[in-house]
Amino acid sequence: MKGYHDIQGDGGSRVLEQVAEQRARITDGLAGVRHLVAVGSGKGGVGKSTLTLHLAGALRTRGLRVAILDADFNGPSQARMAGVQGALFVPGSDKVALPRTTNGIGVFSMGSMIPESESLEFESAADGESHTWRATKEFALLGEVLASFEWGALDLLMFDLPPGAERTVQYAEFLGPRTSFLLVTIPSEVSRGVVARSVAALSKGPNRLLGYVENMSGYYCRDCNAIKPLFVLPEVSGLEIPCLGTVPFDPELARHCDLGISFTALRETPVGVALDAVAQRLLSDLNNSALPLKTADGMSNVEANERSE
Amino acid sequence: MKFLCVPCDSPMKLQTIGPPERGSLSVVYACPECGYEMAMLTNPFETQLVSSLGVRIGPEIREGASSAVSTSADGAKCPFTAMIPTMEGAQPDQAGESIPVRWTSAAEARLANIPEFVRPMARTGIERFARDRGTLEVDEKILDAAKDFFGM
Repeated sequence: MKGYHDIQGDGGSRVLEQVAEQRARITDGLAGVRHLVAVGSGKGGVGKSTLTLHLAGALRTRGLRVAILDADFNGPSQARMAGVQGALFVPGSDKVALPRTTNGIGVFSMGSMIPESESLEFESAADGESHTWRATKEFALLGEVLASFEWGALDLLMFDLPPGAERTVQYAEFLGPRTSFLLVTIPSEVSRGVVARSVAALSKGPNRLLGYVENMSGYYCRDCNAIKPLFVLPEVSGLEIPCLGTVPFDPELARHCDLGISFTALRETPVGVALDAVAQRLLSDLNNSALPLKTADGMSNVEANERSE
Repeated sequence: MKFLCVPCDSPMKLQTIGPPERGSLSVVYACPECGYEMAMLTNPFETQLVSSLGVRIGPEIREGASSAVSTSADGAKCPFTAMIPTMEGAQPDQAGESIPVRWTSAAEARLANIPEFVRPMARTGIERFARDRGTLEVDEKILDAAKDFFGM
């Protein structure tokens, strides 16, 4: 009797073929993107979205073509922070044009579609059992967004990930080994511990871990024009990946985010300078091909080259 | 999932899919050798699981035919079409918006190419853009003008 693998096709439902076609559409849609960078943490509330937006802004100021995909479909914040809450979605020749900020950053965020008074809901044939299918549905939606919007020629596409160490790994698997990861922590033992779990989980896969950014590393006191400590912790984070920089908390930055105002006006402040330094380091590391880039086997590219020789 | 006719040792072929009923699909397969037919009746969990992959189940869609059905519970809706038209900003809530805006076939074709969950908002926003420019027709020029206007 024939087994599953002896039979070509699936008799007409084409489920696997359709999934493969979706993947091909995603690959085609991202063909013009030079770097895919996912900004994650594992921990919530550490400023992933804020850093994503303002790193994108700093890179944009350097003349790079940048877009953000707010992958936190359930708690989208980029629409408000980037000022695209009321964005118009315009059909292009075969895809949707990407809404843009006033400084030219392309932004997709569910927050442009769903008011903050509403939650994201899916129709379901299995009401009350969303824990069995919801994550699958959200990734299918992410695939649809990637395949259906005009990403065009970009230097960087940044993914603003939702919290959760396990979610970070799911995104790594879905987005594939082309995507590099930048993790965000704050200087607390709790946050560093959660980020360490994300590092451990991501290290098992092929994705490149660029390093981490320590956000809220002190706060900027405008009265004193000085950075003051927020947390009392050892200088060494214990995270075994490079630190791409530290960024102090600035209440003015938070106000700008709430109002969807570009950060350009704060560029000369300590926070702006810190963000610019992180952006510079990020860009440098992305362009540095000598950095270990893991293969699908989990080997670094250096190890892979040595083995092939 | 594949189905095998054991007596013929032959893969069965999908024939028809009944419309979703309370979350269940009736999928009929037949053996091309002996003609034996069997039906797979999905439970709501199975229907939802496949639906969550964002795929359709059914024989190849031919022009003018609708033999394939969405695995959504009500047959064809995307996740958001049920909720977005009723939301703030997507309602014809301003003076003059009750006058219908006509879409040319080329503009409709472009709209049809984009994901279903974006369409209601895209349609409403573009129609508002057209009205603001004193026209009650959306054609490809209006779509391109909107792209240019918003720096897309």
